[in-house]
Amino acid sequence: MTMRRIVVVGNGIAGLTACDSLRAAGFDGELTIVGAEPHHPYSRPALSKALLHGNENLQAHHLPAPTHEATELLGVSAIGLNTRSRTVRLDGGAELPYDGLVIASGSRAKRLGADRLQRSGQQDDPPRELTLRTIEDAIHLKERVASQPSVVVIGGGPLGMEVASGCLAVGCDVTLVSDTTPLSRQLGQHLAGIFTAAAVRRGLRIVGGGRARLAGHGDGTKVVLADGSELVADLVVTAIGDEPNVDWLAGAGLLTDGMLKVDSRGRVRPDIVAAGDVAFLPTPRGLARVPLWTSAIDQAKAAAIGLLRGNAALEVEFQPYFWTEGFGLSLKAVGWMPLAGTPDFCDPGANADSMLMCWGEEDGAGAAAAVNYRIPVPKLRRLAGAGPAVVRTAPPARV
Amino acid sequence: MRIELDRPRCEGHGLCEEAAPQLMHLDDDGELVIDVTDVDDAGLDAARAAVRVCPVAALRLAPA
Repeated sequence: MTMRRIVVVGNGIAGLTACDSLRAAGFDGELTIVGAEPHHPYSRPALSKALLHGNENLQAHHLPAPTHEATELLGVSAIGLNTRSRTVRLDGGAELPYDGLVIASGSRAKRLGADRLQRSGQQDDPPRELTLRTIEDAIHLKERVASQPSVVVIGGGPLGMEVASGCLAVGCDVTLVSDTTPLSRQLGQHLAGIFTAAAVRRGLRIVGGGRARLAGHGDGTKVVLADGSELVADLVVTAIGDEPNVDWLAGAGLLTDGMLKVDSRGRVRPDIVAAGDVAFLPTPRGLARVPLWTSAIDQAKAAAIGLLRGNAALEVEFQPYFWTEGFGLSLKAVGWMPLAGTPDFCDPGANADSMLMCWGEEDGAGAAAAVNYRIPVPKLRRLAGAGPAVVRTAPPARV
Repeated sequence: MRIELDRPRCEGHGLCEEAAPQLMHLDDDGELVIDVTDVDDAGLDAARAAVRVCPVAALRLAPA
């Protein structure tokens, strides 16, 4: 059918890119974007990186203003979807009709205390944990750490480590709760080891002890671990992952075991596509969410074309790009992670802590990682795609 | 339109080069070089894609 009205739910980088891509592909119909956050899109990766580390640069997350000329409904949540009448129900009761729908509603931070808040239905207790997902979260966290409180960070993923690094940098006493080597589940043991060693050198305390529970403790919070050990801090930040925003799709019949699955062109059905942190997509490592900046952009481009052109659209194909920084280290990595074992190739850079590494994975997909090593992403991709054989230095000639 | 670079913000990811290799590249030191500053209509889509993909918004498009 002809697409005259397209609604995009979600005003993050995926929703923004979908709008841009629809326009670039020639869609000149009615375009409406619905965003729960009352802002134009901003750079979420910058919140835990530049914003938390920067001294006064509160602009690090700003993106250029949109040029897609969509009707923007900001600070408005989608709360329901009717796929038969083709309408999105909005917070406040309005119904938005569509011919085509882009679901880019993203994800939210998981919380340790979510059950308690939902049960009581009120928030009369001060929240015992901070999370970092939105610009408001970031500004609030930055204000709180300015007075150098003691901090416990729960979660040893990239976000937890970036927050820990930011808190250490402003002079806080910081303990990180993680049962495995921080970053090992995301990056693999080798890169995780490099970051964890740097973190410990800079004063990060890392403790295990099993699942954490939070309890009040005067003005601060007590963290009780499964093994019975307890930690007390002025401030607790949880970074235990994200969960997709699919509550508003309940009853729409689009979810499989709670997952919003898309095909290789981003389609849920011919008239509905999805992109970004909300979507489970086929990857070389199976069906998975790939909640990364460049992945959201690549997915959104594919989904926009998938919506307009159907089977004539190109299938999404990307090699993930990931970066993190903290504890004086900056990592750029290309490929599907985590990476098993030690790199097949390692080239020390100009400085003592800089290195360029390559892995040749058994499934044929290579990966490359640069630590404190300035290298353009296209070059990093070439190294990853080429595998270690191409960059390995030639063996000495026999004489 | 004109491509403007806020150099202190640039972190050298080079995602822009990937989006618009005909307009910009990172040199051997990882510094971004804008090869085409004034973009004509033919290059506008690539320029927009480059601006959009930068996670630190170091690039902007301004009227020429």
